[in-house]
Amino acid sequence: MNIVLPEESQQDASSAEETSLLVIILDSNPGQKMLRESPHVLTHCVDSVIVFANTHLMQKVQNKLAIMACHSKSSQFIYPDQGKHGDIRQVDGQYEAFTAVEKITKKNLAKVLTSDGSAVITESLLAGAIAMALCYIARLQRTKPPGAKLNCRILVVTGSSCSTSQYMNYMNVFFTAQKQNVVIDVCALDQHLNLLQQGCDITNGLYLKVPQLQGLLQYMMWVFLPEPPIREKLVLPPPLKVDYRAACFCHRQLIDIGYVCSVCLSIFCKFSPICTTCHTVFKMPALPAVKPKKRKKM
Amino acid sequence: MADEDNPKEYRWETGYEKTWEAIKEDDDGFLQASVDDIVQRAKRKRQTLKHGSQKLGMMRHLYLLLDCSESMASQDLKPTRLICTLKLLEMFFDEFFDQNPISQIGIILMQNKRAERVSDLTGNCRKHTKVLGNLGKTNLSGEPSLQNGLEMALSSLKLLPSHASREILVIMGSLTTCDPGDITLTIDSLKSEGVRCSVIGLAAEVRVCRQLADQTNGIYNVILDDSHYKDLLFQQVNPPPAAVCLEASLIKMGFPHQPNNEGSEEPLTMCMCHVDSVDEGSKLTTGGYYCSQCFSKYCELPVECRVCGLTLVSAPHLARSYHHLFPAANYMEVDYSSQTNVCFSCQKPFGEGDKQVYNCPNCKKYFCLDCDIFVHETLHICPGCSTNPLTFQIAVTH
Ligand SMILES: [Zn+2]
Ligand SMILES: [Zn+2]
Ligand SMILES: [Zn+2]
Ligand SMILES: [Zn+2]
Ligand SMILES: [Zn+2]
Repeated sequence: MNIVLPEESQQDASSAEETSLLVIILDSNPGQKMLRESPHVLTHCVDSVIVFANTHLMQKVQNKLAIMACHSKSSQFIYPDQGKHGDIRQVDGQYEAFTAVEKITKKNLAKVLTSDGSAVITESLLAGAIAMALCYIARLQRTKPPGAKLNCRILVVTGSSCSTSQYMNYMNVFFTAQKQNVVIDVCALDQHLNLLQQGCDITNGLYLKVPQLQGLLQYMMWVFLPEPPIREKLVLPPPLKVDYRAACFCHRQLIDIGYVCSVCLSIFCKFSPICTTCHTVFKMPALPAVKPKKRKKM
Repeated sequence: MADEDNPKEYRWETGYEKTWEAIKEDDDGFLQASVDDIVQRAKRKRQTLKHGSQKLGMMRHLYLLLDCSESMASQDLKPTRLICTLKLLEMFFDEFFDQNPISQIGIILMQNKRAERVSDLTGNCRKHTKVLGNLGKTNLSGEPSLQNGLEMALSSLKLLPSHASREILVIMGSLTTCDPGDITLTIDSLKSEGVRCSVIGLAAEVRVCRQLADQTNGIYNVILDDSHYKDLLFQQVNPPPAAVCLEASLIKMGFPHQPNNEGSEEPLTMCMCHVDSVDEGSKLTTGGYYCSQCFSKYCELPVECRVCGLTLVSAPHLARSYHHLFPAANYMEVDYSSQTNVCFSCQKPFGEGDKQVYNCPNCKKYFCLDCDIFVHETLHICPGCSTNPLTFQIAVTH
């Protein structure tokens, strides 16, 4: 359903003005199953993400980076931030920019983690975080110097499960990303994510369920580091078939045959006389092959 | 049409209405910033006029009545009216089927006082694109007959089930129509059948077109130039409010999925869609979509099963049009007085240049003008609401 023509190979002359922006969305919600069972896993993930992010920056001087934390009650950008960081100096001969990514990310993430410690919310609002990332990308596209080319992608790193309560939000961000030529990659750490997998398929991104968390960094380097145009030439995990069945609005179950409201296109698994979404009252289904006899006027 | 993305071409955004009075020099004596501002504000204004939750006709059946008379050879649109029209229609069809996934279009030509149906009602976008490709070589001759065209469309729309939304879009280059009878009678029957007729005029206002659109709740406009033409055409992409006589019903549909049989080789099968096509016959292939009711195979969705008549769609097809029904809440324009340092979603720092910021009534976050437009035109969900557990589902339950 989504045919995107392969980028013509213009790597030679124009490559100087080409910039790659990578927005990483890190699910830091302490309510996700993986972190409830072993909270220390987050440190490992953050370290892997930072090394991965720096490798992206290292590939080309022009490459750009943003990191977001998707937390239980809000999502926010943790790198770059609005603050001034004159105090970050070289450590052990490490390039300052890399040190900055690590310091700023960890500092802001710590702020996020300590900000709300109350009730556990198990659902991570990833669709909203992607919506923010798309607004951010749209701004950079608007303000880039004329003639420059900015290739954008979003990488979601999460151990949450997929929730159908965000279905509409997910679909809106996927279609927007598709329109804006933003690739969505998903790195699932814990559970299979059917909805996000659909997003990868719609936007030509890659979906990977990491088999072993210890190897996270290696998997990320192998699968997600190459730019989308280069990926065609690499040996990557074979694409899985995506299940595009509908979930009914009434029970959130996947169905093969359903009933669709002609006014609002809501999907139901059984016939009901009234649409619960738009409150339209339906006429009863016509009985097949029995034509109503015309009543003669008395 | 080379530089479509150039915002400066949007002169029509404000409809040429005394825009010069609104143009002021900015502090440095430049005009451009204020022109951009007018364009942005016009977009915002149009957006705030849209309301959610009204009943729309989502299952659209639209006949396109295309004038192919001599008048379409005129070169006031480049290279000719017809070629320009066909180019715009190609884009229009793509966008139309993208936003109206289970709708259908048919095409009728008007020339030599006759109407000719070149394409039956179908939801297959590629069929239409093919027809359009051939239309470029049509002989443009004689006068159009609006009445004959309307009658032909009506006779086909009449047969549709009562939940189908019926529409006619007329593209009229000629200033005259040569009709066999009284066209007001035709307009009356269109009205009583609930057919909404819109007209785009390429030359000047014609009284009978105005009458047709007014009587049937359609829109009548005459184009100013080619970008205005595109805008008028693309207004037709949004589903219209449901006609009063439109009945609602629940329609049975199938959601085929490809069976995931790992390991075993998928069998080679024939598809039903190419079975009787002459130029590209049915081949044995793997993959495809199987009807959930009778297991006939199709290459593409959406499609109506040829065997059992079930409409087959995929869930994202339907989801593409949900934003028409559940739009993001309109933001309120408020004066900027350091409520926040940055735009919530795009992180743009607010400064002295920002006299107004935009506030979401549900999540109370502040946004910049660009984000306001992007959210309501493209994204259709509020980034503030959708990142907050208390508000992320608000659109669904209103
Ligand atoms: Zn159900
Ligand atoms: Zn409904
Ligand atoms: Zn069937
Ligand atoms: Zn903004
Ligand atoms: Zn909001």
